[in-house]
Order: sequence, then structure tokens, then C-alpha cells
Amino acid sequence: MMTNSILRRRRNELVAGVLVLIILAVLPLPIRDVYTQNLIILTILYAGLSQAWNILGGYCGQISLGHGLYFGIGAYVSTMLFVSAGIPPTIGMFAAGIVGAVAALLVGWPCFRLSGHYYAIATVVVGEIGYLLFLNWDFVGAATGLYVPFHGENWAALQFRTSKLPFHYVVLAFAALTWIVAWVIEGSRWGYSWRAVRDDVTAARSLAVRVFPSKMAAAAISGFFTAIGGAIYAQYVGYIDPDSVLASSFSVLIALPAVLGGVGTLWGPLVGAIVLIPTSELTRSYMGGAGGIDLMIYGGLIVVIALARPTGLVSLLGIRKQVGGANAAPT
Amino acid sequence: MKRLWVAMAVFAAGLSTAHAEDILIGAIYPLSGNASQIGVDAQAAVGVMSDIINTDHAAIPMLLGKGGGLPHMHGAHIKVIFADHQNDPQKARAEAERLITQEHVVALIGSYTSATAATISQVAERYEVPYMAMDNSSPSLSQRGLKWFFRTSPHDEMFTQGMFDFYKAIGEKTGHPVKTVSLFYEDSIFGSDSSNVQKKLAAAAGIKVVADIKYRANSPSLSAEAQRLKSADADVVMPSSYTSDAILLMRSDNEIGYHPTIMAQSAGFAENSFLTSVGTLADGVMSRSSFALDAVKSRPAIPAVNAMFRARANKDLNDNTSRQIVAVQTLADAIDRAGSSKPEDIRAALTKTDIPGDQTIMPLKGVKFDSTGQNTEATPVIQQISGGAYHTIYPFDIAVQAPVWNVGK
Repeated sequence: MMTNSILRRRRNELVAGVLVLIILAVLPLPIRDVYTQNLIILTILYAGLSQAWNILGGYCGQISLGHGLYFGIGAYVSTMLFVSAGIPPTIGMFAAGIVGAVAALLVGWPCFRLSGHYYAIATVVVGEIGYLLFLNWDFVGAATGLYVPFHGENWAALQFRTSKLPFHYVVLAFAALTWIVAWVIEGSRWGYSWRAVRDDVTAARSLAVRVFPSKMAAAAISGFFTAIGGAIYAQYVGYIDPDSVLASSFSVLIALPAVLGGVGTLWGPLVGAIVLIPTSELTRSYMGGAGGIDLMIYGGLIVVIALARPTGLVSLLGIRKQVGGANAAPT
Repeated sequence: MKRLWVAMAVFAAGLSTAHAEDILIGAIYPLSGNASQIGVDAQAAVGVMSDIINTDHAAIPMLLGKGGGLPHMHGAHIKVIFADHQNDPQKARAEAERLITQEHVVALIGSYTSATAATISQVAERYEVPYMAMDNSSPSLSQRGLKWFFRTSPHDEMFTQGMFDFYKAIGEKTGHPVKTVSLFYEDSIFGSDSSNVQKKLAAAAGIKVVADIKYRANSPSLSAEAQRLKSADADVVMPSSYTSDAILLMRSDNEIGYHPTIMAQSAGFAENSFLTSVGTLADGVMSRSSFALDAVKSRPAIPAVNAMFRARANKDLNDNTSRQIVAVQTLADAIDRAGSSKPEDIRAALTKTDIPGDQTIMPLKGVKFDSTGQNTEATPVIQQISGGAYHTIYPFDIAVQAPVWNVGK
């Protein structure tokens, strides 16, 4: 029975998700070395960010190369609230998420009228506009950026002197939340509509799928979580400026794990992040002095994966692409 | 066979004691990516100063110039471990943590860009390890009440103050004071900080800003901006630009027949690639600098240090590399005076630093830190290009040639 097999698979995925969550929760406990802890935190953070991107770029098929904008907005909103109004980032990050969602809707309103490559190009331009706005906006520190003041250990403000463990659980909660949202979407009516929009707009429309609202809803959810990720990142790094949170390279960094791991799959963003982030960090730390060999290895890896596995790394693991998707096996 | 083992054991013991005496310092620089040349040059500069301190050589007339290790630390050597931040504040932060917790460095140095210095200084503060900003010039870095932050070189406000001091002095000397200036600056942290200070100091000096032009960094064309500068026709144009924009500005000005008096905020105007690609067009351009290669009379150590740097990097010392050398020298002096490699002892010694200018290779009055960690005696110089090279023209007592001053003519 088709429905039964789908239900069983979804249940299995949920079980796998819980197992992975448990593994990731105990993973840092034996690790005393700050560098490795940092590596794991970044990997999980990017897995979460990329999952947020995946909701729009993967499930709804709208390839956005401007997600750095929502990330930056999230970083700026929570930091501004903290610096100028004293609102702790644990609350500020949700305000950041809402602003990020609104921004995604504002960007989507004109841009979703474009299709395919034209949409992707438009998002690049919008991201760049955002970068320039913040670079010249004195109220948010313009090019000088914003320092996050350190007032001693404080959970509400997500500030910890040298311990990394609390942040590990913050990013893990964030990544788990994005995963759950993606899982729910995958099995929901919305998820089916979005995938229909992705696969064939005309066919979707003929089945009474409301294309534009579908895209807008996906964008809002995606923007919301991307902005929350940005807010967490700002607290983690302790300093933000337009170059470090709004640069176009961030838009690519957010999309890359999902693209390499497998677009529109539940596990793609995590698998992609596990491969990409440690590669980039380790090669820099241990080969960075050699004049860019690390960047060559990193770039080469991306090219190899793109050529050998255009459907993403998860296809290597034998995980089927997604429920009812174009590549799903016949049942 | 037994003898060989004994010999090896003795050799190994010798090695390990030699290493035990090394004092480890972590340096964080862009070593790959678009600013990597800065990091590569910094490696050469830091290497030169380490050699001067550690190895046996003919004495160089400067502090710690005798060689043979740190005198109060039984000849201990300093060893600098480099890490790459790729111009990313997050990576700078991670590398600072790695150097402190894994490599066990007792102090950090770096980092060229202000954004990376911002995060490195925060890590240093939390782990309570001194951080010596060697070549960062953003004033905001030393205005955050940090306890473990130190900076030997001038910051942008001090640099710009130097320009306005020069305007005043040259006005009194020649009878042709500066009445108007045009500001021309790129839109990143460097340009915006620089122009803010220039506006403030111009107002204080009663000099009118007749054009205030902000442009997009790495602009493909600056023709429109050059036209605006020409029509404003200020006594002095004050650009804050990196290399490619500096070259483009000179060419665009020349195309429309505009040859203003220029006072640059160093950066692109100090680069060798600027001097070579602009050629004689750059004659007469002035710039502030924290270094004067030609101030050999008052800084006798320059020729020897420059020769050592040339041997490594095949170029002369410049604004950045000279600052790196003096910063390492200052840090090593503090470690030596502390007689300890404990970070808190080094910090205590740093706060008591008092190095006369002639014991360094920089034209500054001396090195003395205030409570913010800023060297209050870091005075810049003004230099002017003639014959394809910069020559020091101010302060007049260390100048090597008289300024060419066309204002009011």
C-alpha cells in the first residue's frame, strides 16, 4: 500500500532524526578542546541555516542566492535590540525572525513574478542592495559594525566567557527545529503543493495549487529561520559588520550544504554541512599558511561533488530523494 | 650501539630544553584570500624581529638589538605561530581560541583589518591574554574599555591630526594656509572612519569642506567623482582609498586636466603598485605615514633592519611592516622585563612600557600605553612623493627634504 509505505518511511525518518539528535547532544560531552567544539557548533549552525534555505530552495524550488540578507537582518535586529534597548537575544532572536520573514515577503512580492534563473539573479541583486544599505546606515553602525558588549555569563543574553557547551545546545535546538519544520512540511498539504510548484508550475496551477501564495509562505518560513540563525551567529561571534554577515559569500555558504548534500531532502543540509564546514575550517587552520591551498581543496571538492553527484551526497547513502518527488522510486 | 642511544638521548634532551625556553606568541593574519599579501609580508616582518631578538648577530642600535635571546629570561627565544583568518571575524575568533587553548601562546598579535581585531580582542579579554594590535588603525578598537588590548601604532584620529598639524605648520611657514579641502573616501570602515575624523578636525581648524564625496570601493569608474572634485576646486584633496581606487583617481583627474594638491590617508597611496603604475602623475602627492624609511639620522637601526627585511621579502619596509616590527619589539620587551611568560605578568609589564622613539625604527616619539592600551606617543609623519618615492617632509626636525607646496599659488 502506497500510503502505508509513505507513513512508515516518515515514521522511520522521525526515529532517525531523534537518534541523530541524541548523538549530537552527547557528542560534545567528552570533547575538551575548544577548537573542535567550535567546529561542531559551526557545522550544526550551517546545517540549520541550510535547512532553512532548503525549505524555500529545495521543497519549493525557488533557488535564492540572497539568503545572506535574512541572515544579516537577523544578526542586526537582535544585536540592535540588545545593544540599544537591552532586550536579551533569547527574545530578540524571535523579533529578528519576524523581521526576517517580513523581509522575505517583501523580497518575494516582486521577485516571485520571475521564474527560474531570473529569480535567482534577482535575489543576488536584492542581497547586494541590503549589503549596501547596511554599509551606509549610520544608525546600525554603518561600516564600523556593532560590538556585542560582554556583561559576564548570562543564559538570557547567550553570553558565556569561554565555555562553548551552552552554544552547542543553542545551535542544536535551532537545527533540530528547522529539521522538524522541514519534516512536517514534507508530509503536509503545503509540502505537496510546494513540490508541485517546483516540478511544474503549469501543472500545479491546473491542479488548483495557488502558486504565488505557496512561494510566499515558503519564503516567509525560510526567512524566519534564517534570521534566527543570524541572530545566534551574531551572539556567538560577538561582533558584526556588513562584510561579516551580509556579504554575498554568506548567501552561497548558506545554500551550499543543501545543494551538495541534496536539494529538497531532509538530510541533505546536515550531510552537506558535515562535509563542507570541517573541510573549510581544517584546511584553513592546517594549510592556510601555504597561500590558498585550503581554498583550492575546498573549491575542488565542490566541483567534484557537483560533477559526480549532481543530486547531492545523500543519494550516495541510498536515501530516497523525497516523498512523492520527481525522483521517488515507483511503489 | 649503546653509545648511539646515549647520544640520541642527550640530543633529544637538548632539543626539549631548547623548546621549553621558547616563548610562544600567536599571530593572526590573512594568509589566503584577497588580502593574503599583507599576511605574507607580516610573516617576513615578524620573522625579522624574531631573528633580531633570538639569534647572534652584530648589534643593531635599538632595544633588544643585541640578539642572543631575551636577556632577563636566560636567553629565551620568542617563537611566533601564524594562523590564517581570511579576513573573516568568525575565523579570526576561532583561530585566536585555538592558539590560546591548543598552542598555549602567551600573547596574540595581528591582524590588519579592524573587524578581525574586534573579535580577536574579545577572545583575548575572555581568556585574559594580551593582544597587541600591530597594524589596525580604527580608533574604535581602543575605545571599548578592554584590559588586554594594546596598540603601539597611531590610530586614524592621530594620523589625521598629523595632517592638520602639518597644514597649520606649513601655513605659518609659507604664508599660504589651507582654507578649503575636498574629502574623497571609499565606503568601507576605513573610509568612513577616516572621513568622520577629517570632518571633525577640519571644523576645529576652521577649514571648509567644499566637497564630501563617498564612493563605492573598487569602483569601475571614478570620472564623475573626479569632475565633482574639479568643480569644487579645493586647496587640498584628501582621499582615503585602497590601491585600485587610488590609481583610478589619479588617472581620472589627469584625463580631465585636474592636478590638485593631494593629502592621502596612506593605504592605497602607500603601495608600491600605486607608485609604479601611476608614475610621474603621483609627483607631489602627500600622505601620512607611521614610517619613514629615510629617517636614518634619528633612527639609526633602520638600514640594518631594512636589509634583513629585504633579504626575506625582496622589498623595503613600509607603513605596515615597520609597525609589525615595533609591535613585536614592544611585546618582547614587556616579556623580558616581566621575566615571566605568564599572561598577567606580561600585561603588567606592558602597562609600564616606556621605550624612547630612537630605540625603534618608527618616527614616533616613543611607546607608552594609556589605560585604553593606546600608545599615546605614536606620532605620524607626512611624506611627499618625488622621483617615484616618498620622502619625509614633516615634522620639520626629521624631514629629509623641503615640501613642495603649491597651495595659494
